[in-house]
Amino acid sequence: MIKAVESAEHSGGAGQQAVADHGGNGHAAAPRVVRVRILRQDAPGEESYWERFEIPYVENMNVISILQQVAARAKSRDGRRVAPVAWDCNCLEEVCGSCTMLINGRTRMACSALVDKLLEESGDEIELRPMSKFPVVRDLVVDRSRLFRALERVKAWVPVDGSYDHGPGPRISPESQEDAYPLATCISCGCCMEACPQFTKIEVVRREDESAEAFEARKKTAFDAGFVGAHAISQAMLFNGHPTGKMIADERLEALTSQGGIQMCGNAQNCVAVCPKSIPLTRSIARAGRAATVWAIRKIFDR
Amino acid sequence: MTNLYFGVGRQPRRGGCPVRIGPGVELSAARQFVTANDPSPSFLARHQFLIYRLFSLAGLIPVGAFLVVHLLTNASVLAGPGTFQSRVDMIHSLGPLLVPIEWAFIFLPMLFHAVVGFVIIANGLPNVGSYAYVGNVRYTLQRATGMIAFVFIIWHITQLHWLGTPFGGGKFDPHHATSSAAVVLRPLLISILYAVGVLSTVFHFSNGLWTLGITWGLWTSPAAMRRANWISIAVGVLLGGAGLGALGGMRSVDIEQARAIENRMDDVKRMLEGGQSPVDHQSRPGAVPISGTTY
Repeated sequence: MIKAVESAEHSGGAGQQAVADHGGNGHAAAPRVVRVRILRQDAPGEESYWERFEIPYVENMNVISILQQVAARAKSRDGRRVAPVAWDCNCLEEVCGSCTMLINGRTRMACSALVDKLLEESGDEIELRPMSKFPVVRDLVVDRSRLFRALERVKAWVPVDGSYDHGPGPRISPESQEDAYPLATCISCGCCMEACPQFTKIEVVRREDESAEAFEARKKTAFDAGFVGAHAISQAMLFNGHPTGKMIADERLEALTSQGGIQMCGNAQNCVAVCPKSIPLTRSIARAGRAATVWAIRKIFDR
Repeated sequence: MTNLYFGVGRQPRRGGCPVRIGPGVELSAARQFVTANDPSPSFLARHQFLIYRLFSLAGLIPVGAFLVVHLLTNASVLAGPGTFQSRVDMIHSLGPLLVPIEWAFIFLPMLFHAVVGFVIIANGLPNVGSYAYVGNVRYTLQRATGMIAFVFIIWHITQLHWLGTPFGGGKFDPHHATSSAAVVLRPLLISILYAVGVLSTVFHFSNGLWTLGITWGLWTSPAAMRRANWISIAVGVLLGGAGLGALGGMRSVDIEQARAIENRMDDVKRMLEGGQSPVDHQSRPGAVPISGTTY
């Protein structure tokens, strides 16, 4: 239930606040404008600041269409001309994973965040913030290279590179396919990392005299000391369960039991709760825990 | 130029190896390494997995196992001061071995569990305000109860086991188990603090049992985790009941009566041990004055 300001519905006038009434009184009166509060930042390392915007309400908007309107106007609610808000997006159907941000304080994809539902939850204003666990590039755009570095760390691929014919791959049973498919739907959106209380931000600032390669190397080292995250653990389990991928299973387990590996999980289980693809991440984590247990015993007693 | 690597005494990391394409390339690769500023990971960082797994194991064995024995032993007071006294006598029959055993199997593992636990807490970023899921609430409670348990256990051991009076109420006397504990727990505030401490410790252990099962990979599917959760709840209810029962039992006991039973048992023990005749408990030098009274 949301609060409804009756007077605002009738008083009219430009810039007047109008609040949606989605209550149970039959037909919902459409709000005339949508108010948005965006946490902005001009460049990496700079101070962030709030800026408020107001855009005309249109039915069935999502957060991306709000951001498009904000960019088109480039004007804050108090009428100042401001630089358009920057954000990332691509597929607009919750598949590419690039538009993750904090919408009303919670991590989710902007493309699948519907304005009508958000107004029902939060009343008269929608709050947008960049993800808090990744370094901000500008406004709502963050640098998610740590997410991809984590996939590199756990070798989240099937090692079949080469120019010669490997022949047909091994058969995969339907049961095994069904088990693996949900894990394969990961879109690398970073929601699981953002919501994880064990996953904390690592921001490496480039030094003035530093080459691009040196900066990248320093970033990798810093990232590798931190938690890999639920998505990488799950991908490692996906490829360790694949008949060809399993050929480097030990290398993945080595990575998962190195610094920042599976042991960093604190079992808060937020990852599985926020995953937009409903991937059984805690099942993957527990399986990785079991594999790590067996692997550690093997490592101690088999050498 | 390649010698620069070994000149600074470090091995190049993966991908940091210079490739001799030309002198310039080699130089830049070397520079990358030197400016990469990555000291090789410390001993603790290299063995993080092992340390965290030992931390998890220590919570169950020996610390958790001790907690179960300890609470069930204390709850035996509900069957009367004599029963509790005989349980305590059984533990104290270890004699001079008791102190090394309690350090090796209780205090040191507990200290290790606490130190690693504080490192884990310090590195986490609880966000239950934004994500109020049951699992996240439990994550936060696990850390909160861990810290409460730490403070409580330090107080509990220092006061009851080691120092006695400076922290109020006197010391636990293994020959007068029920009566000496009852005197300590007599003030209501002390009993409330004990109840909070015991329940926090029990929550921490039983919730930790559930997360331990996930950490080691005992239960992996969401359905198995739900089933395992019932085990964790049952253990929590049982131990919580035992802890509160022990507290209630100690509080409701008649101290004079308990003292009399304990003295009789003490006499029997002395006769069995050395054939000594019963001592006068009122003037016995070993009798500890508790709260100004010698019982």
